[in-house]
This record gives sequence, C-alpha cells and structure tokens, in this order.
Amino acid sequence: MTNPRLHILGLKKEKRLAWLFVLPTLTLVVGVYAYPILTTLVYSVTTIDIATYTIREFVGLGNFQYIISNEFFSPTLIRTIYFGMMVVVMTILLAIGVSLLININFKGNKILKIIILLPWAVPPVVSGVMWSQMFQYEFGFINKIIKIFGGQGDTIWLGSPTLALHVLIITEIWRWLPFATLFIFAAMQTIPRSVIEAAAIDGAGYFKTVKGVILPIIVPGIIPVAIFLFVSAMKAFDTIFVLTAGGPRSGTTTLNYLVYLQGFQQFKFGRAAATAYILTFVILAVIFTMFLVNRLLSQRRSMNA
Amino acid sequence: MLKRSFLTNVIIYLSSALLVIFILSPLYVVVITSLQLEKDIRSPNLNLIPQYLDFRHYLEIFKPDHIVPVLPAMRNSLIVSTLAALFSVLIATPAAYALNRMHFPKSKMILRMLISIYILPTLLFIIPLYIAWVNLGLFDTYLGLLILYTTFMLPFSVWVLGSFVKAIPIEIEEAAKIDGATTNQLLTKIMIPLLRPGLFACLIFSFVLSWVEFATPLIFTSEIKIITVSLGLYRSTVDIQIGQLAAAAVIITLPVILITLILQKQIQQVVLIGADR
Repeated sequence: MTNPRLHILGLKKEKRLAWLFVLPTLTLVVGVYAYPILTTLVYSVTTIDIATYTIREFVGLGNFQYIISNEFFSPTLIRTIYFGMMVVVMTILLAIGVSLLININFKGNKILKIIILLPWAVPPVVSGVMWSQMFQYEFGFINKIIKIFGGQGDTIWLGSPTLALHVLIITEIWRWLPFATLFIFAAMQTIPRSVIEAAAIDGAGYFKTVKGVILPIIVPGIIPVAIFLFVSAMKAFDTIFVLTAGGPRSGTTTLNYLVYLQGFQQFKFGRAAATAYILTFVILAVIFTMFLVNRLLSQRRSMNA
Repeated sequence: MLKRSFLTNVIIYLSSALLVIFILSPLYVVVITSLQLEKDIRSPNLNLIPQYLDFRHYLEIFKPDHIVPVLPAMRNSLIVSTLAALFSVLIATPAAYALNRMHFPKSKMILRMLISIYILPTLLFIIPLYIAWVNLGLFDTYLGLLILYTTFMLPFSVWVLGSFVKAIPIEIEEAAKIDGATTNQLLTKIMIPLLRPGLFACLIFSFVLSWVEFATPLIFTSEIKIITVSLGLYRSTVDIQIGQLAAAAVIITLPVILITLILQKQIQQVVLIGADR
C-alpha cells in the first residue's frame, strides 16, 4: 500500500517514527509469543528438570513417539476432533436458526436480541459452575424438568464419559452462540430487503426464500465463523477445568487439556511441549481442510451459475 | 409487511421461548441458588420457583474473614484488568496507525501474523513463560499478570484499532498537512479524537476479557493475596457451600453483564470487526 502524503515529513523521518510506533508491540509479541513458541519446540525434544527448570537431556523425537504410541492418544485425538466438530456444526446451525428468527419482525424481537448476547458476558468459570449445577443429578434443573415431564430424571450426567462430553459440548455451544449469531445475523442483513420481497412476489414461500435466497448468500461467509469456533473449541480450557477436570475416566480430556495435565499436574514439560505441537498441527490441518472444502464448494457454485 | 398466519406466530413465539429458556435457565438457576438457604438447595424438593428470598449468602461472602476473599479478588481483578486494557490500547494505537497508514516494511504480513497468533493454542507458549516468570521473579506479581494480560489483548487491539484507522478518510490527513499541521498535531489533534469511539470500544472489550481471564492467573499465581475473581470463584468450588458459591458467581458476573447491556452497540461492533479476517 503506497501512501501519497508522506513527503511532508520526509520518508526517512517517517520510517523512523513508524518503527518507534511499532516497536513496543513487536517487543512484547516477540517476548511473549515468538520466543516462547520456539523454546517450546526445543523443549519438545528434551526432558526438563523441574527442580532447576533446565534441560536435562535431549531425547530426539522420544516425546512424540511416547505420546503417539500411547494407548490414550488416539481416543483423545478422536474425542478432541469430535468435540470441536460438534461445537462448530451445532453452534452454526443454531445460530442460523436464531438469526432467521430475529430477522423476522415481531414483538419482543428487540429483547431477544439482547438476551442472545448475555452468555458472552458470563465468565467461562461461572458458566462452568452454572452448567454443572444444571446437570447435577440430584437437584439439577435438567433432571427436574425431566421429572416434571414424567421421566425418571435420575441420570448422572457428569458420571458417564460420553454424557459428560456432551454436557461440555452444550456448555461451549451456549458460550459461543452470541458470537456466531452476531456474525451470521450481520451477514443476513447485507441481503437487500428488495431481494427478499422479490422472492415473495414470485410466490416463493418463506422456506423457499430461506433456501433459495438467504442461505446461498450467508453460507460462503460461514467458513471464518467455523474456523473461529473450531479454534475456540480446541483451546477450551476453563469450562473443562471447572465442569469435569477432564473426567470422568478422561472422557472430557481434549488434547489441550492433556497438555495442561502433562505440564502443570505431572510437570513433564518436555512431553507437554510435544503434545502442544501435535495439537497445533491438528488445528492447522483442520483449518487447511476447511479452506480446501470452501474452495471446492465455491468452484462448484461458480460452475453451476 | 404480509399478515402472518396464527400458526406462524405460534412457531415464532414457541421457538423464541425455547431459545430464551436455553440462554437464561443457567443464569436463572445460579441466581435462585444464591438466594436459597443451604439446606433447601441440597434438598430434593427445591422449587424451581422460589418460596422466599434470602440474602444471607451475599452478606457471608463479603465478610472480611471469609475463606475466599471475594472483595480483595475483585479489587485485584479491577486493578489488573483496568491497567491491562489501558496498556494494550496505549501500545496498540501507535502500532495500528503505523501498520495501516505509514511506510513500514511488510506491514500487511505483520498484521496477518499478529492476528493468526490466536489460532495457536495458548499452552504452546505458556510453558517457557511459566519457567521464565519463575526465574525472573514475576510469578505471583501484579506486574507478571499485567504483562501477560496486556500482550494477550495486544494483537486483537492492533487489529481492531487498525480497522478504525482505515475507516478515517485519508483526505482528512492530507487536508491537515496542507494546512501546515505538524506530525504531532496531526496525531494528537486529529487522529486521536477521530479514533475515540474505537479506543473506547477497545478498552471496554479488553477490560471484559481480562476480567474473565482464568488460565493465566491459575498458572502464574498461587498466593491468595493476588487472587483474581475467576480463580477465586474456582477455589470456592472446593472450599465453600453452593449457596455462597452461587452468590459469588452472581457478584463477579454482574459488572460484565451490566457493561454488555449498556454498551452492546460498541461490543457488537468490535466482535464483528474482530471476526472479519
């Protein structure tokens, strides 16, 4: 990007000023992100002495080998990706539904828009506490509702690995719904009223309009939201920590939580560093795949058009 | 506007009701729990609609000798979050301006790299930082937390403020220069005032995200005197009764809920810009 108005200050002087402006940011970013990321890479091929916090020995790819060949690895990997994908798909579907709803003009629409925003303001620790109370088996809200509707209402939600994982998924959906809705609703509002009205005049019913006009316009913009949600799910920590602490029987231990356990419960920093890099690789691979799928889909769309 | 059939209206209000229940029921449950006596919370015949309201848990958690220091935790969080928001905006503003409006080598690439930091899992850089913080004596200090909070918000702030900078027409700057404004005047008298809404939104956003931060104090602090709200709340899940826990949850959530309600326009704006990569 060239800039036409610099010459008043003089190019040399302006460049010096620009460096001055950027330097504090770059210093912090290098110190707190870049340097540690490289150090983690070094740690991943070592074992760390936790009495002195120094490298004890280099083990080559030993940490990676240990993790990948361990029996906990593939269940954890599958669980992590399943968890991420469920959060992405369910949140987006729900957000599309909610956006369609608040796009309709009806009484109470404004209040609904505000209520939708609320989970954003709830600290993740609090939402962990709230949802663990909701799913508490004796006095929890969920079991109570089930009883009211005539069910048994004695499910021990957080006692089973599979159920607990899905409680966690619900908690994450609840937490990210405001963001996803905000984004998708904004995309929906870029559609001119006239387009929707034209569809109505053509005799297309509401669902036909949604399918034929609204969805095709918002779907291409969904990939960034999907990436954001996936990354957030991969980084989920607070809710897991408070809700289940990775249990029961590791049923809610994602790769990210595994890094924490290895690093700050077992103090095996080398192993944790290796797992962190495996997680990073998984995230990048999934994002890359999402981009690829998006590319292929948009190519097909343009061919159809 | 077409007239809607009765059935359509039923569908609209029914789905709205379900949505509201999904969003609000956990909040409702925690508020109700905070207002019931401990013996009733634990009893199986606890009502979803309370028979009485009792504020004792709130009085209890604010007592100075309480096992989880809610008030000091709020003070700590207030100090660290406010300073972190101020510093991140203070540091990000000149960078956002330089990277979007001045000659700087590879400015676009730097911006892209800054925002892609958020793709990486936080634990990828936490381990060396933990070791460094212990060695540098930053563990368990305000300064240690402050540096981390500020830097965690920094790429986002540069990005968001950058889009506010880009929204200011370049002609305004040119006109000011033609009128003989010095660089100093241009920045302080023209850019900063024009950026004010962006700066404000960014401050609020950084404050809220720092307020709810959990993993950083969990890993980088251990002493009770430096405890922050999120961590304090977690510690209380181990130590105190459910009623008091719920009361503490309400107290630490209330400020951020209020900020969100009052400033929803600004927050929505920042979220949308932040998402717009």
